[in-house]
Amino acid sequence: MDQRENNEAKELGSLLLDVGVNLLSSGASCSRIRITMRRLATFNNCVAHISVAPKSVSLTLNDDEDNTLFSGMKSIAAQGVNFKTISGISRLSWEALEKDFSVLQIRDELNRLLALPHYPRLLILFFVSLAGSGFCFTFGGKLPEMIIAFGATFCGLFVRQEAVKKKFNPYICVFMGSLVASLFAGAFVKAGLDINFEHAFATSVLFLIPGVPLINCFTDLIDGNILNGLIRGINALMFALAIALGLLAAMLIYNLK
Amino acid sequence: MDWITILGKAFWCGWGALGFGILFNVPPRTLFAIWIGGAMGGFLKFTLLQLTAGVVLASFAGALVVGFSSIPIAHFRHVPPMIFAIPSVIPLIPGVFAYRTMLGLMKLTGTIGPDYTQIISETVNNGAKTLFVIMSLAMGVAVPMHLMRQESVKNIRLHKKKH
Repeated sequence: MDQRENNEAKELGSLLLDVGVNLLSSGASCSRIRITMRRLATFNNCVAHISVAPKSVSLTLNDDEDNTLFSGMKSIAAQGVNFKTISGISRLSWEALEKDFSVLQIRDELNRLLALPHYPRLLILFFVSLAGSGFCFTFGGKLPEMIIAFGATFCGLFVRQEAVKKKFNPYICVFMGSLVASLFAGAFVKAGLDINFEHAFATSVLFLIPGVPLINCFTDLIDGNILNGLIRGINALMFALAIALGLLAAMLIYNLK
Repeated sequence: MDWITILGKAFWCGWGALGFGILFNVPPRTLFAIWIGGAMGGFLKFTLLQLTAGVVLASFAGALVVGFSSIPIAHFRHVPPMIFAIPSVIPLIPGVFAYRTMLGLMKLTGTIGPDYTQIISETVNNGAKTLFVIMSLAMGVAVPMHLMRQESVKNIRLHKKKH
């Protein structure tokens, strides 16, 4: 194996690890990570052996004769659901095949993808709050409850975003969001407004539900990635407990039953 | 059948799905499809609930519709199916049942009174509903993706020469 080939394998390996790690931290299922990495490796005439751990990805690249060209591992930086990254990388892997991208081109495209902005914060807050009042309606809430759910979601999500920015433990971030949202909703109940407080309370914290870990948990279990699936499931359960704890704390503070 | 209520709930399910899509930072080109998906799942769920189907079956049907429609949308919009499917089923999550389960569990830590058995029954009932609805949502989304994946893998041209 000459030097040039060695460097190429190194570049390809680190690119694939970056792809895998970014997919993992954005909330992709294990099989998607494997399929995408393998697709890019096969396209570059390598055989990829991949192991996806809860917080890291390991990769060994072999050539056709089973000589190891690259072996490495990378752990994720921060976790946060980002479907733009997932769809971008999926699209990139297909485009690379169709247009015959070089490793460097794929790397440039990946960097461009990762730099793409999120939606503006105010827009996120507004639409998630709207979703909160939507949930309230589907559970049988009327207009006053819907408005309370909107306000509660807005405050709760704002606090959670701030907590995430300050790098608190993720479960504590969810706890804070849940506590603030239910304190907001509870204030109206406590003030003696004639509302169904079950609807107001139960829907004010729904924006925190760990939907992606929950569904990925089952996707992984079905795919046979039992360990990853269990870990995601327990992670989702921890989030659910954090939500419940916040809700209970608010109910204790207001002395509601 | 109370179509007005069903349509109203479906409408708001759509907004719920859209809100979560934005929270998960989906590509803007999928937002409209997510709204439609959420509304469709909600429409089927609440229609079936009015036809006195159980909440688990109704949620599963809603999730299944979202799961199957995610495949053509994925091809049309060039995104993985999960990007569309996960936000769309989130409005079907049984928040009220989960809430009642949690409250019930807390009550069970109190002293044993005459209504203790009643609380156990209600809590177990709500908990089972929550668990099974969430499982059926995940199944409804995951199973169609697995059934269809076989076909899209055939499109991959493997072992393409690099140079």
